[in-house]
Amino acid sequence: MAVLNTTKKYAIEGIWNNNPIFRQVLGLCSTLAITNLVSNTAVMCAALVFTLAFSSATVSYLRNITPRNIRIMVETLIIAFYVIIVDVILKAYWPQMSSNLGPYVGLIITNCIVLGRTEACALSNPPGGAFLDGFFNGLGYSYILLIVATFREVLGMGTFLGMPVPYFSSAYFDRWIMMVMPPGAFFMLAIVVWVFRTIQHNKEEKTK
Amino acid sequence: MTEKKWYPVLYMFLITAFFSAIVIGLNQATSKRVQANQTLIFEKAVLSVLPNVYDPNQKLSGIEVHNLFVEKVQPPSSQTAGAYTTAENGKISAYALPFQGQGFWAEIKIVIGIAADKKTILGLAVYQQNETPGLGAEITKPEFRNQFEGKIIAQPPTMISFARPGSTLNESSVHAITGATQTSVRLEKIINEGLQKWQQEVQ
Repeated sequence: MAVLNTTKKYAIEGIWNNNPIFRQVLGLCSTLAITNLVSNTAVMCAALVFTLAFSSATVSYLRNITPRNIRIMVETLIIAFYVIIVDVILKAYWPQMSSNLGPYVGLIITNCIVLGRTEACALSNPPGGAFLDGFFNGLGYSYILLIVATFREVLGMGTFLGMPVPYFSSAYFDRWIMMVMPPGAFFMLAIVVWVFRTIQHNKEEKTK
Repeated sequence: MTEKKWYPVLYMFLITAFFSAIVIGLNQATSKRVQANQTLIFEKAVLSVLPNVYDPNQKLSGIEVHNLFVEKVQPPSSQTAGAYTTAENGKISAYALPFQGQGFWAEIKIVIGIAADKKTILGLAVYQQNETPGLGAEITKPEFRNQFEGKIIAQPPTMISFARPGSTLNESSVHAITGATQTSVRLEKIINEGLQKWQQEVQ
């Protein structure tokens, strides 16, 4: 029961209360860069969930023998290790996706969520908890990105996962080219953060 | 031990060695595959612009594509000035020209198929690009690429011109991509510079 409870606690924290995108407002560079196609976003999110969960667990596992003064170096090394694994596997087994994502897989290393979670949680919690924290923060990041990507792809290209969407792909709908361009990501992300913050705020008001 | 001055140095050294070793191992293990993937993408592009060799809708495995390439395509020689060729009845029936150059975000690599008359374009394939999805990346879509089929190479400097979307076309112009001016301009440059150089060198 205890295990279930802690899992639930980490899940609520990562996905809702302390969501990395609309609460911590971290990792926005990739949010802006890769959300113009849902398929690319999904793979990117999977890569981030993997990296975040495993690097948190590894950092936590080594936390008692890692000297404080060099911990950032160690953390970066561990994060880079997992990211390179993802990158190499994509290059070898899914070259099409690898070329779609371009440099962004490698840039997960500098994604602030990963270093943020290792610093905030993994350094002071056991590996199991750190893994769950990383995993659920990754999920919290993923679903927001997928929402942003869905709107951008449908409005900007009239497709969803590459398949034409009725009405939006027809001649009646004038595609918003702005949506697939970088500025579209800013607008869409701002709207999503606004909506989610409002919901969260209203809920907190009620519980008071 | 953790209090000693040399401990962080040793620790960092060991941990780097450990993780690097795994990454290097993985890299080695997959490097052949990665290379084969890249070769395959190029071979597919070459085959797709040559006539009567390969139908992209036909599902071929990697090995089959590679065998087809080895069987049908001759590597470049000094006579063809860098062009891959395919032959019919002992005579060159088509050229496949690999060109590359800077796109809007990253390098664009393409292959252009040209008939034996060295004037008629048979097709265009883009096998590496990193343009904006939905805009510049439309250069990889059939709607854009199919425009090149049957176009005639004009006199230099503009041998193939990119016209405004919606404007009337002549026998050596194609429509550029709406909203992707930079990609269009750069691709036009890559194609024209490549063709010009090739026409001067080919025998």
